[in-house]
Order: sequence, then structure tokens, then C-alpha cells
Amino acid sequence: MKIRLLFDADGPHISLDATVEEAPIATSLESLLKRLKTGQEALRSIALNDLIGLCDAAAKAWTKANHPLANVIRRYGLGFLPLWMRRGNLETTCARSLRGYPDSLDRFVHWSANDSAHYRAQPRGLVVHWVAGNVPVLGLLSMLQALLCKNANLLKASHVSPGLLPQLLQGFADVEYVNPQGERIAGTLVSEATAAIYVERDDREAACALSEAADVRVAWGGREAVESVMRLPRRLGTEDIVFGPKTSFAVIGAERLSNEADARRVAQALARDCVAFDQQGCNSPHTVFVELGGAIAPDHFAAVLGEEMARVTTQSPPMELSPSEAARVLTVRTEYDMRGEAHYGADLAWTVAYAPEDQGLAEPCYGRTLFVRPVADVFSVVPWVTQEVQTIGLAVDDSRHALADALTGRGAARCPEVGNMRLYDSPWDGLFPMDRLVRWVSTG
Amino acid sequence: MSPRIDELLAMPPFGVEPEAKSAALLAAVNEAMRHHYEHCPPFRRWCDKQGYRPSTPIRDMVSLPFLPVGIFKRVELSSVGGDQVVRVLTSSATSSQIPSRIVLDQVTRNRQMRALTAMMTHLLGGQRRPFIVLDVLPTPDRAAEQELSARAAGMRGYLMAATSKHYVLRESGAMPTLDVDQLLATVGQLKKGGQQFCFLGYTYLLYQAVVRPLYEQGICLDLPENVFVLHFGGWKKLQDQAVDRATLNAQAAAVFGIPTRNIRDLYGFTEQLGVIYPDEGNGFREIPTYTEVLVRNPQTMQVAPLGQVGLLEFICPLPNSYPGIAILLDDLGRIVERPSEDGQVVQRGFEVLGRAARAEPRGCGDTLPSQVYSADAPATASVTEGNR
Repeated sequence: MKIRLLFDADGPHISLDATVEEAPIATSLESLLKRLKTGQEALRSIALNDLIGLCDAAAKAWTKANHPLANVIRRYGLGFLPLWMRRGNLETTCARSLRGYPDSLDRFVHWSANDSAHYRAQPRGLVVHWVAGNVPVLGLLSMLQALLCKNANLLKASHVSPGLLPQLLQGFADVEYVNPQGERIAGTLVSEATAAIYVERDDREAACALSEAADVRVAWGGREAVESVMRLPRRLGTEDIVFGPKTSFAVIGAERLSNEADARRVAQALARDCVAFDQQGCNSPHTVFVELGGAIAPDHFAAVLGEEMARVTTQSPPMELSPSEAARVLTVRTEYDMRGEAHYGADLAWTVAYAPEDQGLAEPCYGRTLFVRPVADVFSVVPWVTQEVQTIGLAVDDSRHALADALTGRGAARCPEVGNMRLYDSPWDGLFPMDRLVRWVSTG
Repeated sequence: MSPRIDELLAMPPFGVEPEAKSAALLAAVNEAMRHHYEHCPPFRRWCDKQGYRPSTPIRDMVSLPFLPVGIFKRVELSSVGGDQVVRVLTSSATSSQIPSRIVLDQVTRNRQMRALTAMMTHLLGGQRRPFIVLDVLPTPDRAAEQELSARAAGMRGYLMAATSKHYVLRESGAMPTLDVDQLLATVGQLKKGGQQFCFLGYTYLLYQAVVRPLYEQGICLDLPENVFVLHFGGWKKLQDQAVDRATLNAQAAAVFGIPTRNIRDLYGFTEQLGVIYPDEGNGFREIPTYTEVLVRNPQTMQVAPLGQVGLLEFICPLPNSYPGIAILLDDLGRIVERPSEDGQVVQRGFEVLGRAARAEPRGCGDTLPSQVYSADAPATASVTEGNR
């Protein structure tokens, strides 16, 4: 068993651009877990409102121009993260996820005059997060929700960008929040209850030890990755939350394409959804179904979308493509130059592909590649939906709820407005994560 | 009529002065571009988008528009009428599960044959010779077995240079095994006759069925120094077992008793059959007269400087029935130079450093519901050739 320590209460153990091999090897998992347990005890005594305040303070600090994380956020395209960490969002998320009674995290709460019981949400203990390699910051989202539920957190990072999470976690340790009562809440409360590590994929002994230590296992990743986590031994009563492989697309109704300006608004929102997470998130669109019959035809919309992709990409430059990704993008461009229309810039930063005969979901190409496909009616996309579809961005006014009902009825997890696809909200993948990160208890 | 391509093929495969080669190759490439532009509508549409005009000849290889190799899996590209197609090739589709589809006419086949003959002649010293084939004899009753028939098709071109063929593997479950007695008898007979001969086989069979078992038994065939071992088909199956070129060559040299420079890895690919790039036991592959090789930076697609690793691009004007003139592969490599044996000239070559790894399995977003995606894999029956 070899566990590399990336972050603990002492701070980051690797730099932003370091590889996992540069991280020190932890002397003992037991001592790390013991330290986290102590950190969690301290966390339990903090009010939810203060923890939210701490996140809010971190979000404000990180977006200041001279903050060291400001560049990191820009470089990795994580602009959504500070927004997600703001008080307004977290209060809404907590209220939604905790049955409308977020105060239950702090004390027993009497929910209803018709019910004599008082309810409280107790932390589960240690939450171990298996973080996906493609979007490592996702682990931070589950970690923060677990933190607000006053759990200790252990993040198992991927070998891709292993230095990112430690820098962000340190970003919490460095802030301080002063609550309305004038009490100072130190960010070290977070870092003392949090650690990030790396273990090799084939280190089964380490993987089993992590799994057996967990009170909640949160698995982000592809099918193989999440299945391998779920196959690990666990203690009886351990909760599992799986955010497995999903794909997403968008649907544009003809009524939103009544003129060039409307079409451009939709295209701009869609472009922003595409470039978030460099199109690597499960909520990133790949196929865009455009309803025929609007003043702006699908081929014209594809051209407008190309212009907006160019504009948004200028503001949010892409990450470097791997050689195989570059070859794939080049192949899509060539194919659509030959049999349809391909819109792209001088470099490999973005691509919009259109062919009138194309149907169904496109095979994702990544590299900020969108496939525009015409549909006679927005409801004709319903058969393409399965349980593996995560987000369907809708730019639809007519029959919006009927369409969302049909799409989610077949398995889609959410149908936000186009432009909000990229936002991580609650519920996610069919569940309220925080609800699963607590133990609901009662007293009569 | 394609006089420029014929002129190019009339030249020797190696040893042509660089200026003469460049001029002949460029003229042939321009001739080929015009042909495909006129006869392959999807190619013409793509050329138009790239700004190519047949009236304006390409002046250097760097500015020649290139096709990514994956396009042959996505679009059927033909520059001849259907009645002229004599064969359809499919590649092995190792990474994408969708095979390339290449249509061949007789003109293309003839050119491929001419080029391959010239290159094999150069490789083997202008002399046909007996081949010991490291495979199972493809008898008619076995022809229906897909893998065996595919392997047989893949080596057919090389066997043109054989005066006789001696198969020394036998069927044995999933993996053919070496008939050691047959091998020793054949080798003894050929050595006794004083003939120059060579071995031919797929890289993974060479290692797994022949070299490794003999090496483990400590057997050395003690062959004459003029014996060549030619292998092809790629390294993927051996890489899965962590066997690299150095291991294969060291063990093969010990087993055959020949220098490692005689163990030649033949690199080539379905989309430009007819041209092979043998190494000399060290990974260095000289670029023949009939082709040019470039390396492109995968981030910018600009041509990379000497020695820098990037995606390999191959330029070859031989295909007549499909526009496979300039193809960017998903193999990584680099251009290298070295002095010739007499030290008089610099030989330009390249090294293949493996396939560009497919992207990381996506944490999320990598799922395509299988029941709703209609893969566009072509269904025409064909043989598998090529050895990339």
C-alpha cells in the first residue's frame, strides 16, 4: 500500500503543476484518518451559517485580481466555482437538499405542528471522494457539500492535474470569516477536516483500506472507474453516491429562432455551456437539436453558433488537446467539410459541425465540438433519451414542461435553460447529495 | 494517363538525390491532386474549403492539404467508378472499432505492386529467395477462418519476393504454436542448399510463437549472417505484455544467431499500401523516393522541427482510386537524420514512437447510449490488410 499525500492540515504537499510522483508518501493511513476525525469533531461545533459564510468569504477572496487562485481559476476555466460557493447558492442548495430545514444540521428542529417529533441531520463521519480525472474540481463540489454537512473529507485525486485540488483546499485554509456576532471562523477548520491523497489504480490494498474507512463513498468518473469503486469492500451501512458517466445535449425550439438576435442569444448561452469544463463535464453539450420552422434555419444557426464559439473561446481559451483529441477534431472537421458544413477557426480551439441528414445523438468528439442536427419537432428527440443522459439544455417556450416531463420520464436528470447547463445544482443525477451525506435522526 | 507518377515509380526506391526526389515527387503529387479533385466530389469540397485550386500547383509538401486517417472510417472516398473497383480493404480498427474502408482499382494495385517490388528488391538485395513463413499454412478449408485469412492477406504482397514458402506454425487453440521439428528441418535444408533465405511474420507471432519459446529453451538456429527476419503488424499486442523492440530484437538475435540489424520491422498502413518503411533493427526508417514524411505538432498542426515528436504525416501519390495522398496518422513519431555509411550525405528518416494514446476515460460525458447511436461502420465484406 502506497498512499501519496497531496494535502492535509499542514497544507499542500505538491505544487500546482507537479506530478503525483513528486508527492510524499504518507507514513500511515491510520494517523491521517485519526487527524481527520479530530478535525471533524471541531467542525461539528460550527453553525451551518458560519460554514456557509466561510465558503462565501473564500469565493470573494479568490476572485480578487491579486489573489493567487484567481489565475488558477482562469487557467482551468473554473469561473463557476466561486459563484457556486456564494452564500445565496449554498443556502438554496442546503434548503433544497435538507427537506427545507437546513437548521437541522445544527440542532433538533420541529418541522410541523402536526408532527410532534424533532429532527436533526447528523454528519455521517468520513466521506471519501474518488475524483474524476477529466474534471477534478467536481470532487470539490461533493466535498463542499459534505463539509457543510460537517463531515470529514478524504479526496482520492486522479493523476491528471493532481496539484489543483490541494491549491484550492489551501484557498479555504487561508480565509477567515467574521460572523454577525463578531466571532472569527478560521478557514483552517476546513483544512483540518480535509485531506487529499493519490493511490495507484492497481493498489488494491490502499483502495480497500480507503473504502473500508469510508462512511460515505462518493465516486465520480467513467463506468470502469465507478464500478471498480463500488466493487471494493465496505462496512455495513456505508452510503454510496455514484456520479457515473453521462452525456448531455441541447434542444432549440423554433420559437426561439424567430430572428437573428434571438438565435444569437441562444447560441451565446450554448457556447458558454460548451466551454465550461472544456466540454469535459457530464453536463457539457455535444449535440444540439434545432427545430425546423423557425426564421433561422438549423444550418444558419450552426453558423451563428460558430461565431459565438469563436467569441467565447477568445474569453476562455481551451486547455491543450492531446494528440488523439486533436486528430479526432481534425477528422470531424474534414468529414463535415466533405459532406456537410464545418465551422471552425484557424486553430483547433472549437468546431461546429452540421449536416442536414444527421440524426440522433452524435458521438462526442470533445475539444469544444458541437454537432448541430435538425429535428422536425422538439418532441422527436425524446426517443434518444436514456438513463445515461444527464442534462438536456432547453431553449424552448412552447410546451416546455410537457417536453421536460417526457425527457426526464425517459431518464434525463435535468432540463435547465440553455446557458444553465453548466451550473451544478441540486438535485444532481437524480438525487439531493446532501440528503445522502447526513443521518436523519429524531426525538419525540 | 499519369506520366508524373509513372516517372516517379521508375526511380529507384532509395539513393536518389534529394533535389531530384523532391521535384519528381512534387510533380507526381500535383498530378494526383488534380486527378482526385476532379473525380472525388467529397474530396473536391474539402479541397475547396482548404483553399486548394487545381490550377495552382502545390509548391512544397508542407502546404499540401492533408487528411486525418480517421476520415476513411467516416466517409467513403472513391475517385473511380464502382465498376473499376477490384477490391475493398478494411483496416484493423484497433482503437475505434470502426475500420477504415479503402477502395482499390487496378491502377492503384499495379502502382502498389511496383513500389513494393522495388522496395523488397532493395531490401533483399535484388534476389528473390525462400521464405520461412512464421504462420499457419492458409489451406482452402481454413480460408474461411477470418483471422487466418486476414493474416494471409496481410502478407501476400511480401511473398511476391519468395521463391518458395515454408510455413512453420500450426494451429493450436487461440494462439498458433511453432512446429519446432518443421522449422529445424526447413532451416537445415535451406542451409545445406546454401541458399539465402529469410523469415517473415507478424510481430506478435514472431515473438510469442517463435522467439520466446526458443529463447526460453536456449535454442540458437545459428543462421548465416545474410538471413533477414522481416516482421510487421504493429506492436500493440506485445506492448500489452510489456515487450519492447529492444527485448524482441535481443532475443531474436540470440535465437536466430544473426545481427539485430537484420531484424527488420516493416512499418506501413492500409491507407497507403505498397510503401513500406523497414527499420534496421534500431527504429530508424529511411524515407523512400516515393513518399515524404512530415511530423506535425498536434497543438498547431504546423510542421514540427527536426527531432520534435508529433503526429506522422505521409505523402504518397500512388493511390488512384481514393484520395489518400497526404494522410495524417494517429501515430506519434519524429524526423531524424544520420550520416550515410560512407559519411558523404545525410540520410533523412523517421522513428515511430507509438500510437497517440486515446484520451483518458472520461469521468463523465463519455457515455453514448448504445441503442440510440447508429455507428457508421461500413458493412461491405472485405479483407483486412495493412500492418499499422
